[in-house]
Amino acid sequence: MSSLIALELMINGDRMRVSAEAHWTLLELLRYEIGLTGSKQGCDKGDCGACTVLVDGKPQLSCLILAGTAPGKQIQTIEGLQPAHRKAGGTGLDPVQDAFDRCGALQCGFCQSGMMLSARALLNENPTPDRAEIREALSGNLCRCTGYTQIVEAVELAVAESVGAEPKTPSWAKDKPWTESLSSKKGGGDQ
Amino acid sequence: MLRLPKFNLVSPKSIDEVVQALADSKGRGRILAGGTDLLPNLKHEFIEADIVVSLGEVDELRGIEVSADGGLSIGPLTSLADIASNEHVLRIAPALAQAAGTVAGPQHRIMGTIGGNVMLDTRCQWINQSHFWRSSLGFCLKKDGTACHVVEGGSRCVAAASNDTAAALASLGASLDFQNAPTEHGDGKRTLEFEALFKADGAWNKKVTPTELLTRIHIPATPRGHRGGYVKLRLRGSIDFPLLGVASRLDLDEAGKIEHADLVVIALQARPTRVRKAAKLLIGTTPGQANYDTAVAQVMDAAYKQCTPLPNIPGDHEWRQEMVPVYVKRALAAALG
Amino acid sequence: MGARDQHGSGAPWGDDFRAVGKSLRKIEGLSKATGEAVYADDIVLPGMLHAKTLRSPHAHARIVSIDASKALALEGVHAVITGADLPTKYGVIPWTKDENALAVDKVRFIGDEVAAVAAVDEDTANAAVRLIEVEYEELYSYFEPEESLERHEPAIHEKNKHGNVSKHVELDFGDVDAAFASADVVLEDDFVFHGSTHAAIEPHCAVARTSADGLVTLWSSTQITHYVQREVSRVLGIPQSRLRVIQPVLGGAFGGKSDPFSLEFVVSKLALITGRPVKMLWTREEVFYAHRGRHPMNLRYKTGVTKDGQITGVDAKILIDGGSYSSFGLVTTYYSGQLLTGPYDFPSYRFNSTRVFTNKPPCGPKRGHGSVQPRFAFEIQLDELAEAIDMDPIELRRKNDIGESTKTVNGQRVTSNGFGRCLDEVERASEWKSRRGKLPMGAGLGVAGSMYISGTNYPIYPNDMPQAGIQLKVDRSGLVTAFTGGNDIGQGSSSVVRTILCEELGLDPLDVRVVAADTDLCPVDLGAYSSRVTFMVGNATIDACRKLRKLIVEAVAAKWEIDAKRVYLGTGEVFDTDERETKITTREAFEIAEAFHDTLGSTGAYNTPTLGGDYRGGSIGASPAYSFTAHVVEVDVDTETGMIDLKNVWVAHDCGRALNPMLVAGQMEGSAYMGIVEAVFENHRVNRFGLHSGPSLLDYPLATSVDTPELHALIVESIDPEGPYGGKEAGEGPLHPALPALSNAIFDAVGIRLRELPFTPGRVLAALREKAAADSQTGGTSC
Repeated sequence: MSSLIALELMINGDRMRVSAEAHWTLLELLRYEIGLTGSKQGCDKGDCGACTVLVDGKPQLSCLILAGTAPGKQIQTIEGLQPAHRKAGGTGLDPVQDAFDRCGALQCGFCQSGMMLSARALLNENPTPDRAEIREALSGNLCRCTGYTQIVEAVELAVAESVGAEPKTPSWAKDKPWTESLSSKKGGGDQ
Repeated sequence: MLRLPKFNLVSPKSIDEVVQALADSKGRGRILAGGTDLLPNLKHEFIEADIVVSLGEVDELRGIEVSADGGLSIGPLTSLADIASNEHVLRIAPALAQAAGTVAGPQHRIMGTIGGNVMLDTRCQWINQSHFWRSSLGFCLKKDGTACHVVEGGSRCVAAASNDTAAALASLGASLDFQNAPTEHGDGKRTLEFEALFKADGAWNKKVTPTELLTRIHIPATPRGHRGGYVKLRLRGSIDFPLLGVASRLDLDEAGKIEHADLVVIALQARPTRVRKAAKLLIGTTPGQANYDTAVAQVMDAAYKQCTPLPNIPGDHEWRQEMVPVYVKRALAAALG
Repeated sequence: MGARDQHGSGAPWGDDFRAVGKSLRKIEGLSKATGEAVYADDIVLPGMLHAKTLRSPHAHARIVSIDASKALALEGVHAVITGADLPTKYGVIPWTKDENALAVDKVRFIGDEVAAVAAVDEDTANAAVRLIEVEYEELYSYFEPEESLERHEPAIHEKNKHGNVSKHVELDFGDVDAAFASADVVLEDDFVFHGSTHAAIEPHCAVARTSADGLVTLWSSTQITHYVQREVSRVLGIPQSRLRVIQPVLGGAFGGKSDPFSLEFVVSKLALITGRPVKMLWTREEVFYAHRGRHPMNLRYKTGVTKDGQITGVDAKILIDGGSYSSFGLVTTYYSGQLLTGPYDFPSYRFNSTRVFTNKPPCGPKRGHGSVQPRFAFEIQLDELAEAIDMDPIELRRKNDIGESTKTVNGQRVTSNGFGRCLDEVERASEWKSRRGKLPMGAGLGVAGSMYISGTNYPIYPNDMPQAGIQLKVDRSGLVTAFTGGNDIGQGSSSVVRTILCEELGLDPLDVRVVAADTDLCPVDLGAYSSRVTFMVGNATIDACRKLRKLIVEAVAAKWEIDAKRVYLGTGEVFDTDERETKITTREAFEIAEAFHDTLGSTGAYNTPTLGGDYRGGSIGASPAYSFTAHVVEVDVDTETGMIDLKNVWVAHDCGRALNPMLVAGQMEGSAYMGIVEAVFENHRVNRFGLHSGPSLLDYPLATSVDTPELHALIVESIDPEGPYGGKEAGEGPLHPALPALSNAIFDAVGIRLRELPFTPGRVLAALREKAAADSQTGGTSC
């Protein structure tokens, strides 16, 4: 007893026509019907944040959204972050993605799609959050690898670079580790 | 993946359409607001639905307005995040803003609604689990079973009201508008005092049916000297439901003397617990003066005696009881800022 | 070439490192940043079926009958299998194979697998599972390890020779009783360590596909591709050569994916039966039942010291709750005793460890396998001894530092050792001297130390082949591809391989690919466990690189008609050290070498030297190198609520040489986090029905970003003589001191000794009340 619904969705800026059963979640639709598997399923029921997507710019749990209620909303998944950055005139990756990679925040990476989207939403609303605000904004996304330190450092790096400030050096580093590269002295997407 | 059971979904655009859809469901419909409570409960199969009625497109259910009397009129579909940061709520009903701001995690507060939190189902360590889990111990009183695993031999479900905002709304003397589909007997509308909503049965702790639509939340004006606070006991600083929640209300006169005081405790049993008698001890005292400190100590003691948590929700219930006076004190301190 | 060759600890050309020691991005980092990385559940194959498991609702029961006819009759169901279809027992340790993919005859815990269904979609598979009818005859269930020690009927495993005892080990070294007699202070106490689980955010998932010619491909979220291949092929009765096991990108493991699991056998079998691809993704609840987490232990420790702080002897008795199956339990039991003999030198030691079966989810190896629990007890006891002799706890630890190039009391060879510097670092960074014992009531600092293995010379199944193998393929485009069996589980093992290739061959990181953990393509590596990967895969990679470099240099030298010693592989270029203008690109050098030698490639391998004490079990815990760690933890205890606010953890870790400091720091921070929050938030336990008390990420709360303390990683480099460029492990050692350092910090803060985990607020308050009562009797002050 589950109806098949025809849906017109806005996903990563594209209008898509798909169909879903009434009891499907947005997460299932994204992952298994549309093939956007960057959004992850970690807990089944809204406890972990791995499925976080941006709905009208705000982080929400796609495992607790019925696919049938998604029309009319702008859905952004991790796959849409870089294209949106390019469309807005940027180059390379979204600075959040790049900072996460440069700071070592991506260990197993499974929670990080949701984490980066929460971070992106935070920076859109508050471009210069302090450490406590960063921790608060990410407190709905569980990470089991990092202990959050390199994640927080990544967001702080993105913030510092966006305002041209000097990023903090982590406790373990002699110098600014994220500028290190074999082929060039410059940081960023050069390798 | 833990799957949702099958159901049909409708997304009406007006209150009238919603109540009609619910009436048509013959009791087998469920209201979907933010989804953060309903969907896990459906996945756990202790809530069943043939039809899920989404409120997402009913714009008349949104919004926060200052009413003519200086109180608040809140659309139940307003998100908890909006409640927590709204300037009018912060000014007129600070306890509500604080309570809304402590619900679950950031995403839950963006998705979850104030109406959803008011109508939140009760919680218990023996019910908020999968069908397999519950089946392996023969289910329980709340759904599908005949035994209570909290109170041996118990015949009434003692699952706990776990809605942070309920404590605050009770302390603020809120009232709630509900609507059913009109019948030959009437237009289906009624208004309940906030506390009249609840009954002491964890299986369903409301005096409205699950298919009765909450359409508006009214908070009466608070006096200029109003102070309100909410503190929440939980292991983590995010995501968790309350192990205990205390809302406080202190209305001060111009001299700073307490004219009206109230305390409401949540997450003990099926309905919010008002610590009314104890709170009255505060009336006539003045924060900052010795008589207030004496009264607070008495209130803490009285609250401890009145509030006896059960081993219903996870966590050590004896510790939760010890925390009652501590959180009463902290709730009063939160009100005074 | 010899697998045990020493490569030295310096840069290959004797000058400064160019890739080693640099915090390069991870090789797969950007694919994770963009969501492109493919994890097991991201795999969707045409015609793929979905499988679900029927699990036991009883903790201990005999299966009387199973009737799957109604399930099979449901439209969309393609196959139902039970234990009868997979009767061969398996287990990661060859001596204790006691698991079946689906229960045969009996079930041993609530959640044990009974039957599996393959259907057109998950909903149909779930519906079918509920249509399977099983009749059980319930048996007496064991939930307390003490009872399993005493009572053996009914046996949880009938064929076990020792009733419900899974493993017993007793070893002693030196004269412990005499040591206590010669000590000035001897303390003896009981400690309780609770259960905890890995809770990697990715749930287990496996996908299998068969081809028409009978080849089976299995994608699985495993950290032990090789052992999975061995066990699945054996149970399914197909040659290993026809089963390809691939580990996709893995969403965390921490030891929780280092056993062969039911779903791997089940999807393979169902794919063979149906001829269609089959996927099984576990729910979070099922992951909790699969468990293999930290063993609960009851520990009794007795330690003596002289009044000037020399440890004279240690005596330990440990009861280990193994849950329902053996898993790595044999090793756990040894590790519980064998890994305590550093970083402190003590002349005498004995331990008596017993692991028993109970009807609970099976325990296994969680990060810091077997040694986190003893370390917890011992480091608290050391703190108490320091207090008893009025010595600074750091000073006591310094005094007993075992040092480098030595042997432990149980015969383990210690090479490099940076423990003393770890103590210095945490002492300095935490401002220990000016703050410890002087913070306001409620705030405190605590210290602890530890030692851990960098791999072990015990290869799980005895064989003389290398523990780690790697193969390099050189392309004339300038690209080098490494094929390694090493499992990158997020810790960065493939990135380590890339760093070494860049270092040795002068390559740009973008000109290196790493193909990992695919049994068809990659030489065998035993897997990501025992903190062996950097050490062993790293050494194998250096080995392969050196062989390859020799070929390239030889060819270029011949072409240039110079001595090979003059050919230098710089970054992106190859030149004559005597005439720097004679220079070509790396790519051109590859072409010259290919022309000279024919198609270019090389292999490399690593095996451990012979290690360990000369006694039964003496090789378990014997490692080619040991890592060392010290923590200082800062807490704030709320004396009204008993809640512990974790403020700071300073983590100093001797990783030998940090091949990539950013990745080392990530491991240190992640370890410290996992250890400290395990003490405060987590408790993997069953309720009075034997049912997991809350198998969800809500009821089993993982610390969020606002609960986790500030973590300060302080890297100490001791440069190990046998590690790759001197490198050692960093993934597990840095977890150990977190829990005892926390207990010691709580003592500094509020004067209570917490010897029982977890440190729940109720327990903290009870201890505070006890202390207040004791103080009022003795007229003492609080703290």
